[in-house]
Amino acid sequence: MFFTKRAVMGAMAAGMIAASTAAYAQQRTNIEVWIGLTGPAQEEMIKYGQEFNASQSKYNINVTFRGQYPEQRAAAFAAFRAGNPPHVMQMFDAGTGDMFGLPRATVPVSEVFQRAGLQFDSSQFLGPARGYYSRPDGTLNSMPYNVSTAVLFYNKDIFKKAGLDPNKAPATWPEMIEAARKIRSTGAAECGFSTTWLAWIMLEQFSALHDLPLSTENNGRSGLNAVLNFNDAPRAKMVQTLIDLSRDKTFQYGGRSNDANALFVAGTCGMLLQSSGGHAGIARDLKAEFGVGFLPHFPDITTSPKNGIVGGASLWVFNAPNRSAEEFRGVAEFLAFMAQRDRLVRFAKATGFLPATNEAFAAMQAEGFFTQNAGRDVPILQLTRGTPTSNSAGYRFGRWTEIRDMYHEEVEKALQGQQTAQVALDNAVRRGNEALRQFERTATAAQ
Amino acid sequence: MERKVFFPGMLLPYALLAPQILIIMVFFYVPAAQALWMSTLLQDPLGLSVQFVGLENFQIVLGDPAYRQTIARTMFFSVAVTVCAMVPAVLLALMADRVVRGATPYKTILIIPYAIAPAVAGALWLFLFNPSVGVVSYYMGRLGLNWDPKIDGSHAMWLIIIASAWKQIAYNFVFFLAGLQSIPKSLIEAAQIDGAGPRRRFWTIIFPLLSPTTFFLIVVNFVYAFFETFGVIHAATQGGPGKSTEIMIYKVWYDGFIAQDIGRSAAQSVILMAIVIGLTVLQFRFIERKVHY
Repeated sequence: MFFTKRAVMGAMAAGMIAASTAAYAQQRTNIEVWIGLTGPAQEEMIKYGQEFNASQSKYNINVTFRGQYPEQRAAAFAAFRAGNPPHVMQMFDAGTGDMFGLPRATVPVSEVFQRAGLQFDSSQFLGPARGYYSRPDGTLNSMPYNVSTAVLFYNKDIFKKAGLDPNKAPATWPEMIEAARKIRSTGAAECGFSTTWLAWIMLEQFSALHDLPLSTENNGRSGLNAVLNFNDAPRAKMVQTLIDLSRDKTFQYGGRSNDANALFVAGTCGMLLQSSGGHAGIARDLKAEFGVGFLPHFPDITTSPKNGIVGGASLWVFNAPNRSAEEFRGVAEFLAFMAQRDRLVRFAKATGFLPATNEAFAAMQAEGFFTQNAGRDVPILQLTRGTPTSNSAGYRFGRWTEIRDMYHEEVEKALQGQQTAQVALDNAVRRGNEALRQFERTATAAQ
Repeated sequence: MERKVFFPGMLLPYALLAPQILIIMVFFYVPAAQALWMSTLLQDPLGLSVQFVGLENFQIVLGDPAYRQTIARTMFFSVAVTVCAMVPAVLLALMADRVVRGATPYKTILIIPYAIAPAVAGALWLFLFNPSVGVVSYYMGRLGLNWDPKIDGSHAMWLIIIASAWKQIAYNFVFFLAGLQSIPKSLIEAAQIDGAGPRRRFWTIIFPLLSPTTFFLIVVNFVYAFFETFGVIHAATQGGPGKSTEIMIYKVWYDGFIAQDIGRSAAQSVILMAIVIGLTVLQFRFIERKVHY
């Protein structure tokens, strides 16, 4: 009942917006863009819509915030069911697999540009972002816009107090654990380290870095019949390490999503594994010097860690029976406008997200942004490190949002001492595969 | 009683009833029928494929041991919230009933929490009990208690029980106070003259006379714990850690909204609907008998 009410409300809201905008710009073609970002990133994207409207007279872009990612997604899906989705929607990383599994609902970004006759080179996007959002044949399905990855933040004041070198971030897990123990034993802080986004960092990033698969079928890129298999010894070792270290607060669990960030900015924990998108917030809230390092790896699993994977979100173009060629053309022109180098640079500087293209990164390097803002280039260096393998080029699973939470639940139970790391991963894999099979069944029927 | 007013024809009564019926249709019958229909379908998140699967969604939901645990957890939670919301409320009402001077400010203060939105209440208690910045957890830490609802399931459960009950105390208080004030003073005075102490007066006179109110509140609190605590849980624990604070309504929302599995979510909301209908029937059967208007 709850959901249906929401769905009705979403559809009604969509209808109202369409009606009101139609009244005020008759001669222009209206394009709806729904986003789920808050703060400076939201303000920037709304501004770009206004700038685009001022730059031409054929289209009227309306960028609106529709609640954070999950709410926005639910509203957009409800509007799609009602036959009138937004032209463009922003979908967070974990929702990507759902969109890939249901290709009839969207038009690939590459094709949108092709239809409009606009030049578009998808190879300009950062490798892992391109891999994450492209079909196996290279067709770019959605346009990466706000790109992030996970890095290590450490509190330099706490490092000094603990007698650690504040200019050297721990590079491996043994170094990380040693530093965390030292922080505890010297009393420099209450806890050694914590982590945000548990599944994204401890499972997805960890697996990419160590070149380990999450499933069969090339991490789901080769088919909907992928079977999760991340319940092996290295992944269990990671979870077991967290369980062991949490006994004496060398590691402290800070909750799902971004909750653990509070432990770091309050000075409770000396180190934090966190999205690079959190950089600006940490700089604002932490009353101490801090450094940025690569995500640590286990040298006994790999000596040359691969690239991390991308987080953030991308822009998808919905398909609907009532869409005209003119509307798709407007979408293409707007996306091209958004992907201009200078605009990407502006977005990266204002928000802390990464520049989405190699060209924009080079421009920021050239103007000396990274020498003035130490540590801001670490995520991008980590993302572009080496050549992506089939394990580090991203994954493609339907219902991944839910499967991530299954991992959270099982690992939380293990941290409470109710089960071992191995049992936690076995359960997460078993439950995750049930969700994948259900998605496979519905997605196959939808083709 | 004789009927005093007659309306000529049928049109006017129907016209007067129409707005109410329309509202019930739009906000209850139509969504409820839709939920029933959707509970028999299997869909992808975007609704591109819709397959009729009969009772399969119910089979999956009820066959899942995790869901049966969720039902048990919901029962425990509802009983705990009801007890924690009613016992303090009746005590406060007894005290307030005895206050002679300044009774209105006392009552107002006790009623205020009811005006607070569940999500705000959840955020408030989460803040008080936050392991790193919370005042309560700070003092608990000094007493040597290791409080951490982020990782300890039973701590998280008590956090949401307290936050949910706290809000409902005010509501119960109003009803208990009204109930107490409707008890004729002469009965209590008579008992006093016969030498009954306060405790005996409570158990032999006040409590039996309050029982219709109590039963009504048990049902209302139970329904509250089932449905309206969503905001508290969403703000405080999001159902975690593990699944330790996931109650049925939260799972309906999660499966429909986050997992985008509408069939499974609808099946659960039908199960919940059956429970509410059951509770309402109970309420009518028992309360109608006991209450004399």
